[in-house]
Amino acid sequence: MKIKLTWKIWILVIVLALSLVSIFITPNFLQKGVLITSVDTNSTAFEQGIRQGQIITEIDGQEIETIRDFSKILQNKFPSNENIKTIIKTTETEYILYSNTAPEITASEIPTTNINLGLDLAGGSRALVQAEGQQLTSDQVNDLVSITNNRFNVYGISDMNVRPVSDLAGNNFMLIEIAGATPEDLEKLISEQGKFEAKIGDEVVFVGGEKDITSVVRSGQGSGIYSCEQSQQGYYCNFRFTIYLSESAAEKHANMTASLEVNSTSNGNYLSKPLDLYLDDNLVNTLQISEGLKGRVTTQIQISGSGTGETKNDAITNAEEEMKQLQTVLITGSLPFKLEIVKLDTISPTLGSEFVKAIFLAGLAALVAIAIVVFFRYKKFKSSIALLITSISEIIIILGVASLIKWDIDLPSIAGILAAIGTGIDSQIIVLDEAKQSKFLSIKQRMKRAFSIILGAYFTALAALLPLYWAVAGLFKGFAVTTIIGITVGVLITRPAFTDMVKKIEG
Amino acid sequence: MEQEQQKQKIKLSQKFEKFHDKNYKLLLLIPLTILIFSFIYLGVFYSQNQDFIHKDISLTGGTSVTINEKINVVELKEALSNKLESINTREIYDIVTREQIATIIETKTDEKQTKQILEEYLDYELNGENSSFEFTGSTLGESFYQQLLIAILFAFVFMAIVVFIIFRTFVPSIAVIISAFADILMTLIVVNLLGIQMSSAGIIAFLMLIGYSVDTDILLTTRILKRNQGSVNERIFQAFKTGTTMTLTSLLAIIFALIIVSSFSNVLSQIFTILAIGLGFDLLNTWVTNVSILKWYVKKKKDKSK
Repeated sequence: MKIKLTWKIWILVIVLALSLVSIFITPNFLQKGVLITSVDTNSTAFEQGIRQGQIITEIDGQEIETIRDFSKILQNKFPSNENIKTIIKTTETEYILYSNTAPEITASEIPTTNINLGLDLAGGSRALVQAEGQQLTSDQVNDLVSITNNRFNVYGISDMNVRPVSDLAGNNFMLIEIAGATPEDLEKLISEQGKFEAKIGDEVVFVGGEKDITSVVRSGQGSGIYSCEQSQQGYYCNFRFTIYLSESAAEKHANMTASLEVNSTSNGNYLSKPLDLYLDDNLVNTLQISEGLKGRVTTQIQISGSGTGETKNDAITNAEEEMKQLQTVLITGSLPFKLEIVKLDTISPTLGSEFVKAIFLAGLAALVAIAIVVFFRYKKFKSSIALLITSISEIIIILGVASLIKWDIDLPSIAGILAAIGTGIDSQIIVLDEAKQSKFLSIKQRMKRAFSIILGAYFTALAALLPLYWAVAGLFKGFAVTTIIGITVGVLITRPAFTDMVKKIEG
Repeated sequence: MEQEQQKQKIKLSQKFEKFHDKNYKLLLLIPLTILIFSFIYLGVFYSQNQDFIHKDISLTGGTSVTINEKINVVELKEALSNKLESINTREIYDIVTREQIATIIETKTDEKQTKQILEEYLDYELNGENSSFEFTGSTLGESFYQQLLIAILFAFVFMAIVVFIIFRTFVPSIAVIISAFADILMTLIVVNLLGIQMSSAGIIAFLMLIGYSVDTDILLTTRILKRNQGSVNERIFQAFKTGTTMTLTSLLAIIFALIIVSSFSNVLSQIFTILAIGLGFDLLNTWVTNVSILKWYVKKKKDKSK
């Protein structure tokens, strides 16, 4: 049997094919390995040039095919604190690392589709941040965004998205989204103002930021944890690192120390007043200034502090975190406002796959329901099948467009797809019924009439969706976006094609 | 035999036509009564709660915690009810095995405190692997609520404008708008009667409802006003066949989907519940409210032109 397709049906077929390409032909089509999702920017791996987005194919000559291979090799590799060589082969080149812990790389399976799931399905964190007690202007939010971006980079988080958003009520927010695993101290990192002050007595000697501090030594000698001790509550570990002051800050330091007296203690001779380090107005450490520094212009200063924990390992981890945070603040300087997290979602990735399964099943059940009603109502096998095919192609095209414009599919987006398919089916039923009725009109006229109703419904739906685009800091944008894609595809592509299918079937 | 059946069918439909011609204005009393009841109920509800709905924590502010573990919620609720403000719990089951795979705890207490209290009770650390936290500040929740209400209001007004542009006549356009409004109001009342705590997603469902309910009304009005073959009753009946197929298909699809997600996603099941209720009322408001007003209008116009 030869079927001649009309041009409208051809358009549907072509768009459908393009959508499938857009969904399934990924940049790494059929590539084996694991995809790097983030690399700690302070790590040796990062220094060697390993970046997010690269694909690891081999580690130490062993082929990596699944994420399980990846973590198995790295987990068993570092039993002690010795430096070991690791050879990481990516699709492009080979990296050789020497380290005493597993490289700070997180990876995932290479995605088989271009569909990106939103935070609420794939897991990750999202925070909406405002200034405490004041409304931010959009310029202020932009400043905040660039400082925060910098802070994340310095801290070592690269896989994040920070941007300004506003809502219908005229509020400006900073929106932070981090995909995948969430750093434990996210809240601290984004909400702390990070006002660092080093004081002698009541006078500020220098503050965090590039004006006073020209550089912070973060690796190598003179930076890190140097001792751990047991205390009554557990353990505490001390860290230290060196910073370099600008000329002006160093001079200020010299002037202030010049007027201090020298006290003799059993541990050595120190100046009468110490250097107090404050973070957000809390005293974090007090450093004794040795006699030799009195009145001397020195740009090199050692900062120290400590972290505590129930076990030695906890204490080490905490001390490392404290050090990293202090360094971050010293480099990036203080935020211009005190911040408040007004919304914070941290979604575990564990339930995500279950969720997708549930939605898939629900969609299938809905399609079965539709098939039952349509078949019993029209008792025409071909037309009912055509209706189902049209609806399924609508879903595929929406997902295709979403992949193309890199729209993340989150829960509101899925609700939007449902809404679009729902209105789509309504319109197809109208077409089917118009085709059955008023037999004395030509089929072409009948189809035209069906279309005037469908267009009316289209514009009402479009109008109803627009406000959602701006409301609620854009958190429900996905609903508006997928529905608009869906109903537009419906009016322009699938419905005309369906009409032609019905014409062919009904003759 | 078949002819006999056919005849009976025709007889029945003729009888119904007669009944409808005589009583269509009286039929309006059904939706009118429900509407009046709805208004009174909503008034009482508002005076008691200072609001139109029961809001959940996504709108009042608070924390929702999902712990990916099997937890005895009765014990948990009992132990923590005076530590966590207005605590609420729910269980999540695997769709296939029906095994409890997660527990949801909702409270008005903020995220940090909630986490601390839960960790103390459970005696293990809650991290990104075993739990999800969703926190909304109370000011923000309130602001979101206001904005969603504004979004609904705007959507409704835009919809009304488009309807007026399509039909360009007052009474038929108003009939469509009244039907859509009645759908929303009646659904809202049932949602309140069921004691559903509405989330921001639930409000989105009302937005979807505007679109769905207007669909059938537009179909009906177009068929009656812009077509001229067949009697008004025939046209109504044809529109009725198409429209109910539309609504019933959607309704059945939604109910099927609802059964599957009900144990799983609060967001989706709330959207589906509200849509199902709304589509039910849409059958009433399109085929009684809108049909009667429209029939009245067409008949009056005919009488005048005579």
